[in-house]
Amino acid sequence: MPDEPTASPLPHPSGPLAGYRVLDLADEKGQLCGRLLAELGADVVKVEPPRDGDPTRLRGPFYRGEEGAERSLFWWAMNAGKRSITCQLKLEGGRALFHRLAATADIVLETSPPGQAAAFGLDYATLEALNPGVVLVSITNWGQTGPYKDYQATDIVAVAMGGHMYLNGDAQHGPVRTLAPQSFAQVNSQAAVGALTALYARGVNDGLGQHVDVSMQEAVANAMDNAQATWDIRRINLSGPGVRRNNTGYTTLKYLYQCADGWVAALNAGGVQGPASTAIIDWLAETGEDGGLATPVWREKLALAGALDDDEREHVERVVGAFCATRGKADLVEEAQRRQSGWAPVFTPREIVESKQLAARDYWIWVRHEDLGESFIYPGAPWKLSETPWKQRGRAPHIGEHNEQVYGELPGLDAAELRRLRMRMVV
Amino acid sequence: MPEPLKKPFAGLRVADFAWVGVGPSVSKYLADNGAEVIRVESSTYPESLRRVGPFVDDVPGIDRSGYYANFNSSKLGMSVNLKHQRGPELAKRLVAECDVVTESFTPGTMARFGLDYESLRAIRPDLVMISMPLYGQTGPWAPYMGFGHVLQGAAGFNHLTGWPGEPPIGTGTAYTDFLVPHFAAIALIAALDYRRRTGIGQYIDFSQFEAAVHGLGTAILDWTANGHVQTRMGNRDNEAAPHGCYKCKDGKWLVIGCETEQHWAALKAALGRPEWCDLERMRRRWQRFEEQREIDRHLTFWIEDVTRRAEDPEEIVVEGGEGLRMRKYTSFELMRHLQSFGVPAGVVQSPEDMHADPQLKHRGHYWRLNHTVMGERTYDGPAFRLSKTPSELTKAAPCLGEDNEYVYRDVIGLSEDEFVELLADGAFE
Repeated sequence: MPDEPTASPLPHPSGPLAGYRVLDLADEKGQLCGRLLAELGADVVKVEPPRDGDPTRLRGPFYRGEEGAERSLFWWAMNAGKRSITCQLKLEGGRALFHRLAATADIVLETSPPGQAAAFGLDYATLEALNPGVVLVSITNWGQTGPYKDYQATDIVAVAMGGHMYLNGDAQHGPVRTLAPQSFAQVNSQAAVGALTALYARGVNDGLGQHVDVSMQEAVANAMDNAQATWDIRRINLSGPGVRRNNTGYTTLKYLYQCADGWVAALNAGGVQGPASTAIIDWLAETGEDGGLATPVWREKLALAGALDDDEREHVERVVGAFCATRGKADLVEEAQRRQSGWAPVFTPREIVESKQLAARDYWIWVRHEDLGESFIYPGAPWKLSETPWKQRGRAPHIGEHNEQVYGELPGLDAAELRRLRMRMVV
Repeated sequence: MPEPLKKPFAGLRVADFAWVGVGPSVSKYLADNGAEVIRVESSTYPESLRRVGPFVDDVPGIDRSGYYANFNSSKLGMSVNLKHQRGPELAKRLVAECDVVTESFTPGTMARFGLDYESLRAIRPDLVMISMPLYGQTGPWAPYMGFGHVLQGAAGFNHLTGWPGEPPIGTGTAYTDFLVPHFAAIALIAALDYRRRTGIGQYIDFSQFEAAVHGLGTAILDWTANGHVQTRMGNRDNEAAPHGCYKCKDGKWLVIGCETEQHWAALKAALGRPEWCDLERMRRRWQRFEEQREIDRHLTFWIEDVTRRAEDPEEIVVEGGEGLRMRKYTSFELMRHLQSFGVPAGVVQSPEDMHADPQLKHRGHYWRLNHTVMGERTYDGPAFRLSKTPSELTKAAPCLGEDNEYVYRDVIGLSEDEFVELLADGAFE
């Protein structure tokens, strides 16, 4: 990896959002949102408290397990490609300085608890008066108003109260949370849709901005598959099916099977049940492992995809389970796909990084951390735009790394003034 | 009176060839915010979700699926048989009148009907088109089939779900179907904003797999930078303790997740400061991390002790306690109690609980819309509220081909004779 000097963040003038400025004051609920906007070309400026920086810098895991404000992998992952300035919004001088920047911003992202934004000069009335075009995106646990608005939430609380956790888990242990925090993934991506919808609306409404009020609970609620409709229509609460699926209240066949080197995801016992079942039953029969399923009676029953009784289900699962147990996941998936059946491997993070498909698509990006003398592999383009390509814009910023640069762009804010502001702990 | 504001996507017309979960959820954003979205379907090859329940009255039917309905609010329905000799031509005439095309077929399918981006761009130069199959347009897996249920396996979500030392389990949903549409919508709206300013359209090659990897938090970097493979650990967390899910006497589960010292201090106060929580070995976050088995044991006992079934009295007289009374809580009451101290706590809400949730009610998350066949049903709305141009679910999902007359006559411009002739010839099936 050549150690060429690079601007940080890397410029991205060909992005679809090039020319827009985003001020990012968000915590876990909005930092990925800001990063995605940066990768679309916006100039995203992270606004951090002076000295210690943003509290999420202390969110683990850390590089080599050593805690430090510049070593948080969470910080790296969610803030790559942004600029960073420090600004103390608890001080009037800091708010005044922030307001000069806000006058130049297209989008402001913030995650302060409901009712507290005004104390930091971040409320919509204040920002609108300064800049009628600004889109203020306020992301909170539950929304700006309502009976739960002041409740605390961490990821597990949001996935529980948003209904997703009820669907996840199994009867033996109860509900479970997916380890990678999905309430954050959901609310960040949905907030970005809201931000861009408001930005588009501004374009067709004479430059008028607005306030976007985003709820993390609602973002999770939108991930309930057909469970919401199933309650509405059938009055059945779907819940934790383990290695099976929630399917409008009927017991499905297992879809996760252990194989020689891990697990495979094979819907309807690998397609043994359903209109395409013949191809998979043939496969089992070719190796002499169909366990009696390759008979006209079984074939007809399975092709119709009607309900199986417990014994039948157990038999089918045992046949498919035994078949998978002696084979590797790559071979199983390749052959199943050749037979038009939608299998996939169950990948670990390591196997995702080693995926042939992602390599063929040039997915991974080496990101230089020149301060550590190392480069690391980061996830690549979540979309490929033909005219305005996605771009990873380098590592996450250090605390206040771009103070001179960003404040220097403000008219009348020279080095001496910046020094004075620093002395007064405003920046 | 000032002019009323335009809805964000008012005036944009979308031909939505997409199907199942991902594609329709993307165009739903456009439809619920003012675009005219036309679902392009076929009765000969019906969209999978129309054939999957829940069905109204448990009677299967093409216009009876709540699964389909929820992702297709505010849209129009037209039908065309692309295998009819005039089908592709009709689809192209529609695209000529559209700003956006969305599709999620296996790569190559649109091209077989002459509906690939290059062909469509020739008739609509400023078109924005997004293709959203599982694995993208290129690479060895491009032709692979599947659904969100299996893609979540490839994308790491199963591996990260379950109990330590036990099998990976599903998330109980086709999870990626409900994560990646937001990413696709971001790309699509950004491309539309670029088009609004420059007049230039483009093509978006969207891989559900590649977007889903961005939902894994730190799991990728933990491997590439630290060589550490994150693995399922039940309801524990790598960074926080206590962090778990506890059963209440009313049968519901309550979660508590303390990430900060303030959260822990709040929990101690809410528990009434029992001796164990002030032990020296509970003082720091990393220490509590080491002690989480013991903390979990205490919390499990405490929750068992202080909760009640809904029909039980709110207070009981403590045996041998000289008339001392003790408060007992339902799961929701205990959540409120803990939250009143500032503890991040919540009930694992069932779909039924969600429908009754006072916060979601206050937000108006669920919309009730009247469907021609299904009657009044519940639809999810977006998680954001736009203060000046609010989203609006303008109508229930379309029946298959419900708006054929409007689309073929008014949008495409067929004469009445042509319309009737094609109808009779099965072109709309």
